[in-house]
Amino acid sequence: MTDGTDTTSAARGTAASSGPPERYFLSEADLRSLVGDLLGAGTEVIAPLATDVCQSPSAVAASACTLPGAAAVDIDYRPLAGADELDLSRGLPQLSLKEHFLPEHEALCRWKQKGTTVEVEDVPVEFAPRVVLAAKPCDSAALAVVDQVMNWDYQDELWNGRRAATTIINLACPVIDESCFCTAVGTAPDDTKGADGLLTPVDGGYVLEVTTDKGRAFAAAHAARLSDDVPADTRGRQAADERAAARARVAANLEIDAASVRDWIGTHFEDPLLASIAIRCNGCGACTSVCPTCHCFDIIDEEEGVGRGTRRRCWDTCQAPTFTLHASGHNPRDDQNVRYRQRINHKYSIYPLKFGEVLCTGCGRCTRVCHAGQDIVEILQAIDIAARRPGEAAAEPAPDAPEPVTS
Amino acid sequence: MNIYQPLLTTVTELVDETPDTRTLRLEFQDEAQRESFSFRAGQFGEYSVFGAGESTFCIASPPTREGYIECSFKAVGKVTSALREVNRGDTVGFRGPYGNWFPVDDWKGKDVVFVAGGIGLAPVRCVIWNVLDRRDEFGDVTIVYGARSVEDLVYKRELEEWSSRSDVTMVSTVDPGGETSDWSGEVGYVTPVVEKTAPKAGNAVAVLCGPPIVVKLTLPVLEKLGFADDAIFTTLENRMKCGLGKCGRCNIGPVYVCKDGPVFTAAQMKELPPEF
Repeated sequence: MTDGTDTTSAARGTAASSGPPERYFLSEADLRSLVGDLLGAGTEVIAPLATDVCQSPSAVAASACTLPGAAAVDIDYRPLAGADELDLSRGLPQLSLKEHFLPEHEALCRWKQKGTTVEVEDVPVEFAPRVVLAAKPCDSAALAVVDQVMNWDYQDELWNGRRAATTIINLACPVIDESCFCTAVGTAPDDTKGADGLLTPVDGGYVLEVTTDKGRAFAAAHAARLSDDVPADTRGRQAADERAAARARVAANLEIDAASVRDWIGTHFEDPLLASIAIRCNGCGACTSVCPTCHCFDIIDEEEGVGRGTRRRCWDTCQAPTFTLHASGHNPRDDQNVRYRQRINHKYSIYPLKFGEVLCTGCGRCTRVCHAGQDIVEILQAIDIAARRPGEAAAEPAPDAPEPVTS
Repeated sequence: MNIYQPLLTTVTELVDETPDTRTLRLEFQDEAQRESFSFRAGQFGEYSVFGAGESTFCIASPPTREGYIECSFKAVGKVTSALREVNRGDTVGFRGPYGNWFPVDDWKGKDVVFVAGGIGLAPVRCVIWNVLDRRDEFGDVTIVYGARSVEDLVYKRELEEWSSRSDVTMVSTVDPGGETSDWSGEVGYVTPVVEKTAPKAGNAVAVLCGPPIVVKLTLPVLEKLGFADDAIFTTLENRMKCGLGKCGRCNIGPVYVCKDGPVFTAAQMKELPPEF
């Protein structure tokens, strides 16, 4: 075993910055030129990209496209083919940035077997430098949260390698809806947590603020596209005003005392409130796929012909009964209520107690994707109320949730 | 080499303990790894058959026997069924050792009581040999082991060896109906046999491992006999994948069993949600 505390922040490349952030202005045209410079130099640039699914060969997408009024646009973080693809007006991508750091599946090693002999081939843990532009602050913050579990004691070099290779410039969030609650869990629509800088839209372009060494190196490398007359001018004030307004809009959705919520969940394992919240869940696990902080994975062997194959890890979900099923048939979490409770417990109590960070950045994707109508804003509100009034907690079910099952 | 890449071992011996339980002896193929590998009693590893995947077992051999490791498993799933098919000379992958260990060094001068049920003897066997290989450092050694039937008793030759030693009190038992005509041990479940054996708790520690029901029922009996919560040690067997505190599978309450455990005292277990 190794002690992971010394090299972690260096490996992640998100070392605390020294001195105040540097600020620049760049016009829309400058930004496109900057992307062009990066692409021209062979650097991958990942940004929220709208795909017309009706152009895809998928039969499901094609049939969806025949519905009247069907939205034909998927937004995802994808590598840009050209600077003209950049579109900073897009909303929250369907999948978080997670997939570019913990891919849905990835090779851990490869093997070749001949008779009784096996050769194991390592996979590279160093990655080509790349840039993420216009990341949502809730998505970059999630990376910093997951950094903790990827580096306590054992260091996950695959995760760290991708983190170190990536410069992330957030976009102060332009799209806030009723499911957003980042400010309730310690981040904000203009946060740079987990990122190296922030773009804030202002008249005629963007204010770029760089907050880490990696961000400053990025600004230095693209100095020709940046002007540095920002702090005192109207654009700087406009950026600050926009950002404050966005924070207030999110805060209006949910305000909780995260520490009380953490402690209440940790001490109310059998509370009927948790069961009443969980009962609506169908256990599909979609929330864990779209979640920027859910990081649980399975490890499987994939044979690729006779005597060779790849050991892979792939996303898994704590909502599946097989997640905890013992070989003996015993299952410590044998029904959906307790599996849903585990998800809430892990995010808002276990992880904060163990790693000092809430395992949630308030992106709201779990609410938007849930076909059973689970609303994490309502759930946290109900727990927060219970935590503030502990005596009445058991009697107060979640808003419009069914009565708890007691059998 | 990333943390998920297995080391390669060769199967040098295999023993069929019961009709469905097998023990493999594994030696590291790389000489430097064979020389440098060390572990503590209670630690576990991820064993793999390439093409089938990885499975989690304790290291069933003691750290005092160097140059190899052993694992015992029942063929119940994909990986264990594939492990069942390997022969002497075949290659098996191994990652480890992982997790914490039984604090054997802290038990010097104490009596040690071992209680195991079924395949739960595998992790306990590691500690038993660890203690017996350093026999003069400890007081009385008592072993209570039970299985469903005589056929299901694992490590039969070692059970005989422990029985024949004058410095070990060995009590074997099988569930009612599981005895044979020539069975000379006890007949009954592990828990009442522990109660009947009544090992002295005064200056003793207890090591307990077995199916969840055996652990659950035996804990109160050990307490009744006077064992303090922090003198009872067990090893939890939550389902695991990575063994490194990343994949999230073995998390219960504030612990990741693979890193904060698998060895816990009864006092620590009582603080955990009942999810093991």
